[in-house]
Parts: sequence; C-alpha cells; structure tokens
Amino acid sequence: MERTELPAAAYERRVLVSAAQHYYLRVRLELPDGAARPGAPQLKQLVVAALRELHGEVGAALPVDVLAYEEKTLCAILRVISSGLVKLWSALTLQGFYQNRRCAFRVLQTSPFLLALAGNSRELALD
Amino acid sequence: MVRFKNRYVLCEVLSEDPRCRQCIEDRAVGLAVRDAIARAHGDYGLGCCCVSFTVKYLNAYTGTVLLRCRKDFQRLLSSALPLVRHLEGRGQRFPCALRTLHVGGTIRTCQKFLIQYNRRQLLLLLQNCTNEGEFLQPCSSARGAAAQLLLSFGRGEAQKLDYNSVGDNKQHIMVRHSSSYSCSMA
Repeated sequence: MERTELPAAAYERRVLVSAAQHYYLRVRLELPDGAARPGAPQLKQLVVAALRELHGEVGAALPVDVLAYEEKTLCAILRVISSGLVKLWSALTLQGFYQNRRCAFRVLQTSPFLLALAGNSRELALD
Repeated sequence: MVRFKNRYVLCEVLSEDPRCRQCIEDRAVGLAVRDAIARAHGDYGLGCCCVSFTVKYLNAYTGTVLLRCRKDFQRLLSSALPLVRHLEGRGQRFPCALRTLHVGGTIRTCQKFLIQYNRRQLLLLLQNCTNEGEFLQPCSSARGAAAQLLLSFGRGEAQKLDYNSVGDNKQHIMVRHSSSYSCSMA
C-alpha cells in the first residue's frame, strides 16, 4: 500500500479524550425546610463531608475547590480533578442532610472548560 | 467464560504483644479489616469489598491470614490493610499491623507461596536460636512458631489444606510433607 504524500497546507485534526486536568460543576443547593443558608466555608465543609461519607478518607482528600458562591441563590461553581468527577458527583447526589434539615444538590452544568459555564441555554429567557 | 473472579490476599499479623496471639480469630480480623475499609473508602468501598469478603484461613501461631475479595476491588482492600491498627477480641484491644505477603488468584497459589515462605522463615528463625531449650519455648512468639513448624515437618505429618473445612479449623497448620526437606539444628 502506498502512502500518499500530504500537501503542505493540510488540515490536521487532533482528538484528545479526557485530556482536561479539571472539571467544573455548577451546582445549586436546595433547602426546602428552610435551614440557615451556608456561607462559602460551610459549603466546602458540606461537600467534603459528603465525600468522606461516601468515599472515605481517600474521597475526602480529593482536591475540590469552591471557585464562586452566591449565598443569595445558593449557586456555586466547584472545581475537581478530572479523575474525581464521578466520586464528587455521586457524593453530592447522595448528600441529603445539612444541619439535620433536608437538602439536595442540583447539578446545573458541568464542563471541562470554565468558560463553558458562562452560557446556559437552559436558563435562556425566550420572550 | 463468565464467572466471578476472586483475589486471595495472604497477610501476616505482626504484633509486639505476645497476648495478641490468642486474640487472632477470623471474626476479629474480619471486623478489623472491614472497619479499615469503611474508614479509608467510605460506604462505597465497604459495599464493594464486602460482597465476597471472608477470612478464608487463619493460623494463630504464625499469624497468617488469608482474605478473599472480588478481583475488581482487590486494590481497595490492599490499600486499606495498612490502616488496620488494632485487633479486638474478648473485650481487649491489641495494637497490631498486617503485612501483605502475597496476592493470588486461587487458594492453591497462595498455599504454594506460603509453604515456600514458611521454609525460608524456618531457616531464618533457626539461625537466630542459640540453644535447644530456647528453641522449644512455646511462649515466645517467633520461636514458638518455629517450634510448631519444625515439629510438624519433623514428625512428617502430611497436613494438607482442606478446602471444604477451612473455615472450621482455625489452628490448622498448613504444611506439606516433603521427604527431601532436611533441617539441621544449629
């Protein structure tokens, strides 16, 4: 089989699978029973406690950061190392209590690129 | 074809306290390992590893323990074994450590390894003993183990590991009779 020579200005396509170092999640905490709204450190403590309960000390040692947090809407942007995305998401899903009141984490967006969280077509207001 | 594959982890219980020997039971060791997995890997780890987790074989004299788990979760189990720090039994706690000797896919390979390991250990222990009286002392742990191994070898008892009754026989010493093996008393 002969290999044809590529012309000088060829189109090259590179595909990288799971190459991102971090994954970003935009989550919202729902507190239906009217618990006290957590601040940023309390939110981080809640996330780490959820990881510790489901995945033990190894899970609690996962590098998770709260990059942004709005106390009014209880929306936060979390960053986690790519290999730990499944652990973090499963721990957030199964976290049901905050200070003995019911709570729920809703994951709104997730992406390996932080800029992708800026636009959300689900929250688009169509007039 | 399609079957459940297991991994058998052969460990040794190391303890400075000689009274720890009487505390080594399959239930105590199983509970200690389960606690360590729960602390290290949480509910998910506990659920994964404890599906097919048992203590298959235990020898209180030499402190040999054979644990079984599913093949996919053997790494979780192995990473949690160094975190076992106490053994509890009959209301007493003894500090101890678990050292992994071998990981095998079947009990037979672990048995083969253990026989070779015991032979090497016996030679090492014999070199450390200075006289015959000290050698046969049952209370000192290492020398007591050497005495046990040597007596079984010397008497020529062929005690093979019986796969069916492994759970019942806690004090069973796993030794294969070998006529070519000769030990020299230093």
